[in-house]
Amino acid sequence: MSGIKKILLFLFLLSLPLCWLGAQAINVYSIWPENWARPMFEEFTKATGIKVNFIRFSSGEALTRVIAEKNNPRIDVLFGGPVETFSAGVKEGIFEPYKPKAFDELPARFKDPNGYWIGIADDPLVFMSNRAFLKENNLQPPASWNDLLHPAYKGMIQMADARTSGTAVTRIFSVLEVYGRDEEKTFEYLKKLRQNVQVYTKSGGGGTLPVGLGQAGAGIFFIVDALKTQQEGYDVAISFPKEGIGTAVEAIALIKGAKNPELGKKLIDWATSPEMQNLYAKYQINFIPAHPTVQVEPGLAAVLKGANIFPIDSDFAGEHRARIVDRWIKEVLP
Amino acid sequence: MPEVNVKARREMELNNLRKDPALLVSVTAIWVLLALFILFPLFRMLSIVFVEEGRITLSEISAALLGRNQLKALVNSLTLAFLVGVFGTLLGFIFAFTAVRSNLPRFWVRLLDASIILPLISPPFTTAIAMIFSFGRRGLITYELLGLKNFNVYGMHSTLFAETITFFPIAYLTLKAILAGIDPNVEDMAFSLGSSRRRVFRTVTLPLSLPGLANAFLLLFAASLADFATPLILAGNRFPVLPTEAYLQITGLYDLKGGAVLSFVLLIPAVAVFLLQRYLVGRKYFVTITGKAGAESSIKSVSNLFRTVLVVFCILFSLLILYFYVLLFYASVVQAFGANHTFTLKHYRVVFTEGIKSIKDTLIIAGIGMLAGGLYGVVVGYLVGKKRFPTRNAMEIVSLLNYSLPGTIVGIAYLIAFNDPPIMITGTALVIIACYVMRYGATGIRTTVAILQQIDPSIEEASASLGAGSITTFRRITIPLILPALFSGLGVVFIRSMTAISATIFLVSIRWILITVRILEKMTELELGVASAFSILVVAIVVIVTTGISRALSLLRNPGAPRLASVLGG
Repeated sequence: MSGIKKILLFLFLLSLPLCWLGAQAINVYSIWPENWARPMFEEFTKATGIKVNFIRFSSGEALTRVIAEKNNPRIDVLFGGPVETFSAGVKEGIFEPYKPKAFDELPARFKDPNGYWIGIADDPLVFMSNRAFLKENNLQPPASWNDLLHPAYKGMIQMADARTSGTAVTRIFSVLEVYGRDEEKTFEYLKKLRQNVQVYTKSGGGGTLPVGLGQAGAGIFFIVDALKTQQEGYDVAISFPKEGIGTAVEAIALIKGAKNPELGKKLIDWATSPEMQNLYAKYQINFIPAHPTVQVEPGLAAVLKGANIFPIDSDFAGEHRARIVDRWIKEVLP
Repeated sequence: MPEVNVKARREMELNNLRKDPALLVSVTAIWVLLALFILFPLFRMLSIVFVEEGRITLSEISAALLGRNQLKALVNSLTLAFLVGVFGTLLGFIFAFTAVRSNLPRFWVRLLDASIILPLISPPFTTAIAMIFSFGRRGLITYELLGLKNFNVYGMHSTLFAETITFFPIAYLTLKAILAGIDPNVEDMAFSLGSSRRRVFRTVTLPLSLPGLANAFLLLFAASLADFATPLILAGNRFPVLPTEAYLQITGLYDLKGGAVLSFVLLIPAVAVFLLQRYLVGRKYFVTITGKAGAESSIKSVSNLFRTVLVVFCILFSLLILYFYVLLFYASVVQAFGANHTFTLKHYRVVFTEGIKSIKDTLIIAGIGMLAGGLYGVVVGYLVGKKRFPTRNAMEIVSLLNYSLPGTIVGIAYLIAFNDPPIMITGTALVIIACYVMRYGATGIRTTVAILQQIDPSIEEASASLGAGSITTFRRITIPLILPALFSGLGVVFIRSMTAISATIFLVSIRWILITVRILEKMTELELGVASAFSILVVAIVVIVTTGISRALSLLRNPGAPRLASVLGG
């Protein structure tokens, strides 16, 4: 590229945002991966004529940015991501309450009572194991939390680090529920499990590829990440513990001080309604729809059949999260 | 009477400013830049950390320092940075020495250049992930090749290895410019006086490379101190280091203050090493480019045997590096690495359709950043290395700050500082370019300073005494002499602009998105194929651009001046 062309291109790109001012558009940070967020936003534009400019961040990075931009918000809506990110955001005062039409139709655990956030999907945890590893060690896919303590798994389990990942927090609260909220027994189990853990990864899905490749034998992940691994072609087994495992709500929220609040509300209306959630199946997005009238895709329903899944009580989790994570860091991690 | 001396020096420095308007203008301009893009964001960040309800508090610092494993993390960070500095400098020196002193055919030197640059030009995760594929429990090398079943890839050893191969190219680039600048005649003289090769190396070559070695160590030490991505993937859970702890504190526990405090702690060792380096090197006199030498001689400073050993070592090591990239390339052209190895170009299709905006944005930002950063590096390096003016020491230290801080903290400081009035530039390309220039221009500064320490001031004095003004002298004498520093600075800023992530993850916006952010995203989406394809593209672009830079360098070489030719190097 010659120098002049480069300068022209630069000026052209600089002027692009000015062109956008003409059309109706909103700005969004998506915590959902681009693969899933993009088709959703394209369908939204088709349905409403509103363009969505977005960029994808992990939940921690998205929240840090929104907090840092608090005095001069750059976006209108925070889209997708586990509910605990949104609870943390409520404490920072970065959201504007809004109750869309679906608010009254949703069960209590899919919404903040004041309307600071609202659920768009449900995402249960699963055990995922490498079939070659299972065969090599003559094991069945783990069907109980205690199966993961088997010596064959020593140094072969990867799962997320509770300091960075909502997946890990949901996992720890799942074990708490399994032990009837008895903290001592819970931590006794977690410390035993630690012996078999190869590494705690930064992101919730960080261990899926190592399990797919056989670098690790098994792990605990959200179902979307596990099914994605399977869809990519890796030979992995998905199973559930008979004692039960937790699930986390995926949410959406309006940003306080948003520049286009009315358009942002339209996106929230659309995303919380069956209109968007009916599309999950079409685009192979393996979340369980939050809206009670939306059917679960048959393939996903087959995986979930017979699984013992329980919701994590968000009030209880919110109240004890910091302390439990702190204890985990001190007692389990080292 | 030292007090009188200090006073006289101050007087002299002030006089320099009064007499030389060009100096005054450039010093003022650089200070404006430093104030705006280094001090102001840091000040905003500090005020968030230490000011609570209008009062200054130290409780955050003590809480962060005394709490948990932070002390252990600090010790780990320092150990790691020291070792990376030592091994990286050593490796860089071996490679630079081989490239400059072993009379390799030009083709091989270029090949060496290319493979050395590879680790520097791919985003850190890709090297780290290739290492996990190769050295993990079921790694291609540890398990398939060596049959080791329980090799643990996570820990200090892998982090040290990955950081050393990621950062040693910085040492290589710095030292190559220095070694090429040593007049071979100096070595010849020692030989003709009957010295052995070993003695010449020990008493001539090594001491003359000392400013370069010290600078390379400083750069590597600081780079490792600030690196969070490699430990994040490779350190595992039993080897915490500070930048990673700071990142986890901020993005994981949503504790901006705690993370910022941890990051600021890193400044202390970084500045300490800098001062130590100045103390050790600053008082020696290094001049080999005197302008008085005779004809160029054939280089005979290494024996044939030793040369072979060096060349074989360098080639083997380059092969190891190349292997990582072959692996990466392979992952980019198969359906799903590890599961389905059918050939496909679909990942590249994604790169050139969905990813085309990020490619354009990155090229524009890296292109402008490279020119601005190269120039900035040489100007600041020239000012602090050559000129005497008030605030010179402060300028040298301040210019290093952003380089020594973890990228996460620099990124967040920029986000906080430039999101509100008076300066609202978040979301623009300018904020990303500024971040790159102020952060990675440091390499150009250090190289310039090191080269200037080799140049005899009498060359410039001669020019001045022949009636040339300070601008003419600068243009005709100094610029050609520090050209290699300019080009190594350009190269490093371009490379880092193409590959950096820690700071820019907080600065990219809906309008300006970078390839590295897309790679990170594809990694977390498990789309290893697309992530690899993007990485290969980055590698290709950087190889083309850096080759172009070295071409430009050889075109600029003046055939009529053999002394200059030796400065500009091979």
